[in-house]
Amino acid sequence: MLLPRSTIGVSRWRRFRAAVDWPLILVILALCTLGLLNLYSATRGVRHHAKFDTQVQWMLVGAVGFVLATIIDYRAMVRIAWLGLGIAIALLLIARVLGRPSVGDANHGITYRWLNIGGMGIQPSELAKLMVILVLARVFQDTEPSSYAPRVLLGRLAILLVPIGLIAMQPDLGTAILLVLIVLSVGYLAMPSVWPMVHVTIAGLLAIPILWETMHDYQQKRIVGFIDCGMAPTKECWHTQQSIYAVGSGKIWGKGFLEGTQNQFNFVPEHWTDFPYSVWAEEWGFVGSVVLLAIFGFLLVWVLNVALSARDRIGAVICAGVAAMTFWHVVVNVAMVLGIAPVVGVTLPFISYGGSSLVTFFLAMGLVANVSLRKHGY
Amino acid sequence: MLIRQSAGPGSGNGPALPELHRRLKWVALVGIGALVVLVGRLWHLQVMRGESYYERTVSNVVKERYLPSVRGKILDRKGVALADNRPAFNIYATPKQLTRPIELELVRMLGLSDDEIAKIDERLELGRKRDARTAIAILEDQGRDRAALIEQSLARLPGVEVRHEPYRWYPKGGMAAHLIGYMTQMTAAEADRLTNQGYDASELVGRYGLEDKWENYLRGKKGIERFAVDARGQRLDDATASALIQGERGVPAVPGANLVLTIDAGLQELAEKAVSHTAAAAVVVVEPSTGKIRAIVSKPSFDPNIMTGHLTQAEETMLKQDPRKPFIDKALRVTYPPGSIFKFATAIAALEDNQAPEDENIYCTGEYQLSGTTFHCHGTHGKVDILKAIQHSCDTYFWKLAERIGIDRIADVAAEYGLGRPTNLGLNGDASGRIPTKDWYDKTSRYKVGYATNAAIGQGDVEVTVLQMAMAYAALANGGTLYVPQVVDRLEAHDGHTITSYEPQIAKLVKTPPHALDVWKRGMWKVTNEPGGTAFDHGHSDVVTVMGKTGTAQVKKRHKAEADKDLERWNPNADHAWFAGWAPAEDPEIAIIVLVEHGGGGGVVAWPIARQIIDGYFTKIKAPPVPRPAAKGTAP
Repeated sequence: MLLPRSTIGVSRWRRFRAAVDWPLILVILALCTLGLLNLYSATRGVRHHAKFDTQVQWMLVGAVGFVLATIIDYRAMVRIAWLGLGIAIALLLIARVLGRPSVGDANHGITYRWLNIGGMGIQPSELAKLMVILVLARVFQDTEPSSYAPRVLLGRLAILLVPIGLIAMQPDLGTAILLVLIVLSVGYLAMPSVWPMVHVTIAGLLAIPILWETMHDYQQKRIVGFIDCGMAPTKECWHTQQSIYAVGSGKIWGKGFLEGTQNQFNFVPEHWTDFPYSVWAEEWGFVGSVVLLAIFGFLLVWVLNVALSARDRIGAVICAGVAAMTFWHVVVNVAMVLGIAPVVGVTLPFISYGGSSLVTFFLAMGLVANVSLRKHGY
Repeated sequence: MLIRQSAGPGSGNGPALPELHRRLKWVALVGIGALVVLVGRLWHLQVMRGESYYERTVSNVVKERYLPSVRGKILDRKGVALADNRPAFNIYATPKQLTRPIELELVRMLGLSDDEIAKIDERLELGRKRDARTAIAILEDQGRDRAALIEQSLARLPGVEVRHEPYRWYPKGGMAAHLIGYMTQMTAAEADRLTNQGYDASELVGRYGLEDKWENYLRGKKGIERFAVDARGQRLDDATASALIQGERGVPAVPGANLVLTIDAGLQELAEKAVSHTAAAAVVVVEPSTGKIRAIVSKPSFDPNIMTGHLTQAEETMLKQDPRKPFIDKALRVTYPPGSIFKFATAIAALEDNQAPEDENIYCTGEYQLSGTTFHCHGTHGKVDILKAIQHSCDTYFWKLAERIGIDRIADVAAEYGLGRPTNLGLNGDASGRIPTKDWYDKTSRYKVGYATNAAIGQGDVEVTVLQMAMAYAALANGGTLYVPQVVDRLEAHDGHTITSYEPQIAKLVKTPPHALDVWKRGMWKVTNEPGGTAFDHGHSDVVTVMGKTGTAQVKKRHKAEADKDLERWNPNADHAWFAGWAPAEDPEIAIIVLVEHGGGGGVVAWPIARQIIDGYFTKIKAPPVPRPAAKGTAP
């Protein structure tokens, strides 16, 4: 194997250290720091202050996950991707059968998102996201055009519809849509020809009315409510309205750390999970909001950069998948906070409170670091 | 290991994923597109419209509410409270937060009646139009149990609160109700006008009597409190609130001024007790030396405590259908024929003109002929001089005088004493009444001589109010000074210091020759103190020498209405019973008019009532002028 000239004759550790993608780690650290800062403000008060400590613990777990996802060769992981997806599907099914039905609130009825393992609630759908990315890497590793014949492609994508369908039935519309977006994005980025993807996309769009019929009332309401609050005034309308007030009231420079009244006095409900960006925008203003978006932008550029310089298709597709996942999480979440997308439960990477989302993104970035580490054949 | 070794950059065979390289410009386009949309939206929200959203978030947190001002009390001359305030539980709601389910919960919890629900809905509707974020009163003066029910389940009733506020209270109930008045909700039209003057739409306003007339002094000035709330409407602690609220935390409320009356609550009570057995009556007691009203009664009355926010439909209907018209102030709003107590005008006019020599006797046969009409005196008095005519109230004698002096001279004197004109008390539609003159008749139809005959004895078209008569007799008692009646002695700040003191006001100095007055007074003395006097035959005061004149005024006959038949002691065709007089005879302290509407004879019915009040005054009420410390007891 060829090594960069500069690393010849250097110790294994030093070579490892030189190959580690430090900018990626720095960006993640920056996001985590801002996330914790924001969470501190968002959960200040008697009832929620424990969430900060929990989040710190999950970050440590995530860091360990990052290291593991970096060290184990991604090619080995991709080899057992289908098995991984099978496990994810199994967990989704178990959650369906055994999972504790969490009564979210009167609007949502019973959901089956959580699986209780050793006293911790985890979301199998988060695992499914990673597994789908790995499976995509496996599917698109081929360069043979015959691998992408419509029949073959449909067969493979049909398998991916199983976890997506299960997640949609939980019901967790946000994650399901996100998975669809990831699959489509990777398809558009990795297929030798985009036309099969165009066909799939058109077919998907045509299927929307059917999907609409199968949606829960509250999900339909959210979407109708998003289009016109006057037509279906839901709780989400109130959320969105208050979120817009929060963001707008930040003006250019923000109200200052811990000074956001919409945040501090709970006018935006559950703002630490789905609406942390409204907290951020209220307290740090336009300048802070753009800075945070810029950091995400840098992260995406960096991940794509890794994809471009990956040593093999597998690595490149993994990075494309992680980039797509991160991109859609950020865009959907921020658009929702800014009132230009319906309220669906999509988190903001590294900023939102919640172990499952946090660990998922640590693992995903670990995969990117993994690809980056091995780009020169390390 | 079946990993196909694809070409990496290191292998020199081109990129691992050439498709990505090819489509990089599309990726950049999508990425930049998303960034432009998001940043554009941020710019729109935070930079272009930031200021208005900022204000929205402030109004989310910082709320304002009125601090009620304590309404001024209405006190009698000795400090006894006639209108006071007591603590009450008022239920408030913020229209924006009070959704239908919460309202239903409230209805269920309190077991509200349909009337109450309608009232709440009406208030909420009004509140939504004004400012949906400001709490408004939806139910006033609720019981302790309802307040407790709400307070223990506030968490289930966001937007609802119970406030402990002063509420108008009339400790003496219906006593002097027409004078004191009452308060009610404002009408929608008033609400539009008054909210511009700093009223809250749910406030009560003075509606009648002094409560109405002195509204602007009694109500004080409301304060404003600014406070901060969280999303659930729970109040934030003081330190947080101070940090959030820019500028003043609030403006303290200014309590209203107290109104100290000339009324003596003890005497008022006595007077009301004295007429308690009658169906309808009016009494005015005046201090002749000042024109200050010491008691003013209009019966039947109403309880202002019920009128103020607790009037049910049934009670309202009952009060409105009562043929005795409980809401109308009989002391000054209604005019009555005065009957014989009006004879002072005839007598004085004739004495002034030297048309009634004291030594002249006129023979009363019980009948009196004038231009073809026969008038009937109420008795056959035989030979009467002027004193005996007053003593026995002989109509024939006064008819004779009227024939000599004419109607206009009688009207002159009556007008001198303020009859037929509003007294300027300025309350409850102080009526003018009517003293007919030749001109007046010529304008309406045509004057006939018989009109003077009727007017001479206070019948025909003569109409006066009880208060006018009281002021006229007070002027007779004090030798000719006609006062403007006075009920408000002074305006006090809530701490007791006087803001404005009102002095007695003279309406007119009447130029009646002393000898004329003297004759009339001697006649009055005989009425109450000599056998044969119209009053003397029905009782005599052992306490004080009373001078007086009785009157029995005939009324126009009419058919009894259904409502009239239901009432005992109420015969709308019976005469009005009058008594007018003062005591003590020589140095009068009180002048009194008693009218029992359709009560019968003045001597039989009105005089015993007047005597009871006068005796009560001199035995129970009169005491050396009480220096007024802030002692709030009942009158001694």
